[in-house]
Amino acid sequence: MSNTIAKRQHPGFYAIVVMLIIMAVGPIAIMLINSFKLDVDITSGTGGLIFMPTIQNYETALCDILPYELDHLDYCALKFGGAFINSLVIAIVSTVLTLIIGCMAAYALVRFKFMGRDTASATTLMVRMVPPAVLLVPVFGLWNNEFCLDKDGLIGGFIRETFGGRGDVCLAGTHSGIILVYIAMNLPFVIWILQSFIVQVPRQLEEAARMDGAGPFQVFFKVVLPLIKPGLAAAAIFTFRIAWNEYLLASALSDRDTKTVPILIVNNMSEFNVEWGVIMATGMLLAIPPIIFTLFASRQIITGMTAGAVKG
Amino acid sequence: MPKIKLENLSKSYGDFEVLHSIDLEMQDAEFTVLVGPSGCGKSTTLRMIAGLESVSAGEIYIDDKPVSKLEPKERDLAMVFQDYALYPHMNVAKNMSFALRLEKRPKKEINTKVNEVAEILGLTEFLHRKPAELSGGQRQRVAMGRALTRDSSTFLFDEPLSNLDAKLRTQMRAELAMMRQRVHKNMIYVTHDQIEAMTLADRIVVMHGGKIQQEGTPEQLFKHPANKFVASFLGTPPMNLLQASVQGTSDITSLIGSGFSLRCDDNTKQRLGRASSKEVLLGIRPCDLVFDPSAPEASSIDINVVVSEYVGAQSVLIGDCSGQKVMVELKSDTPIGLGEKLRFAVDLDDLHFFDVDTDQAIV
Repeated sequence: MSNTIAKRQHPGFYAIVVMLIIMAVGPIAIMLINSFKLDVDITSGTGGLIFMPTIQNYETALCDILPYELDHLDYCALKFGGAFINSLVIAIVSTVLTLIIGCMAAYALVRFKFMGRDTASATTLMVRMVPPAVLLVPVFGLWNNEFCLDKDGLIGGFIRETFGGRGDVCLAGTHSGIILVYIAMNLPFVIWILQSFIVQVPRQLEEAARMDGAGPFQVFFKVVLPLIKPGLAAAAIFTFRIAWNEYLLASALSDRDTKTVPILIVNNMSEFNVEWGVIMATGMLLAIPPIIFTLFASRQIITGMTAGAVKG
Repeated sequence: MPKIKLENLSKSYGDFEVLHSIDLEMQDAEFTVLVGPSGCGKSTTLRMIAGLESVSAGEIYIDDKPVSKLEPKERDLAMVFQDYALYPHMNVAKNMSFALRLEKRPKKEINTKVNEVAEILGLTEFLHRKPAELSGGQRQRVAMGRALTRDSSTFLFDEPLSNLDAKLRTQMRAELAMMRQRVHKNMIYVTHDQIEAMTLADRIVVMHGGKIQQEGTPEQLFKHPANKFVASFLGTPPMNLLQASVQGTSDITSLIGSGFSLRCDDNTKQRLGRASSKEVLLGIRPCDLVFDPSAPEASSIDINVVVSEYVGAQSVLIGDCSGQKVMVELKSDTPIGLGEKLRFAVDLDDLHFFDVDTDQAIV
């Protein structure tokens, strides 16, 4: 019967649980509450839950995409909407590309025999160990000076004509530039995690598909890929989270039009006046996409996907 | 149906040769069973025919066309795997129609075909289930259905029944035999179970150590094994093999071993004359030993019965013939006592002789 009735625990147990909950949820709760306060309420030090809730902070944050004029704001300085779209584009495109390249690379490393396979497999993860700060300066230099198209050239000239702007067409300051760095940064881990999933796909399934008349690509896309869906979902959550939160590289490689939300939030703090309320509101908005994405992706992680494939 | 021919087929992993120059020709619409103990190269041979394993030397011909360089899909073969290998993310119908869908056949045709095969195999009510929701026998049937939906000329089976429990295996074996009568196709079947081989095959190919030991109908192989290996591999309980030496004067020749001394007739004398030495290996099937207390000594063997295994209508006696183990199969109601020395009559025509040096049968 002890299974159905929860055993009464030691009071210390509850104390620890409550403490852990406060530690985990507390900051988010504070951020949520403060995002509905005016700056005067936040900084007055009174704290507490008694205040007049307002959505003014959210209005300020989203001023560039709201369809109506705001009374409390003369000029919409904060381009949160634009940055939000930048963040979404960069995170989604880099995640999708990382997964596509990563799953193919992982499959090749697991299933194909070629010279240096084990070395390649072992060194992929080592690349991930290089801190982004180390990459920052060389990447900044390359993106600004090396990987450029001449503005008088055929493609460069076309881009300048169509999109405007000055100077040579460089990777720095473009979405592609940031996406490329994120792909390079996330690929090793994705390859590594997917390898362990692909190893578990029974080889007989691939052989059966080949007997059924599938070519190498059909074997991969119709049989292997659906079976490693949980791995893809896990890798996608990981990649998306990194790309969404990344600050350091994005701060160096983005320009005014391509900056992402984390950059925007930090830049919103000026020396003399920190707009706490707006920062809290943007923080809350920043947290929404990864939560939705994780909820969606984690539904794909169902254990026992391969159960019943072969005798088990 | 296309003819499949293997010519000098070899397989090596590095310097290690696992298959030594196999030559084999399969007849039209024949059920060929490759049988042998684990590691004898039978699965490798099948996988090479399928195209899943590369060919080290020699050639495979399907209708006189060399195919060893072709991809599996270009060989027009269907295969049933040992572990079923069903696609876990597809339901039964999708599993069975995978090949047809890859060929982009019209949907209507696919549905008709799947329903038709499901009907034959009794899978109609399971068409929308995933493999994980099926029992072992049902999965096995889906695996067969997947092969059947394709109109391949040749079916390959890689130990398809080895994962089933004993009762189900017998049942599926019977179903396979029934399917065999309905479907007139080439079938190549790999198994380590000699009973499956004997019951299903039109032709058995016994393999051992990467070589073909003997091929022929089940009856040929059972009655006239070409060598010691085939003799001891086929048949349950296995053939008794006893050391014996040929001794005699000009008119009387006897086969003498520890515990027996058999007088030879002219026919047997002639056979034994072809042996390379005076020592031979004497083979007697357990069912050929007849309990007969009144048999003369010159045509019988005395066995000290140690164990009796009751298997229903038959009992298998395990006995001792002066230090050599001998098995006897006889009717369960035969009155025998354990620990007694019993006399079993031997018909000389039932005896098999094997050369002690080459292990080949003396005929």
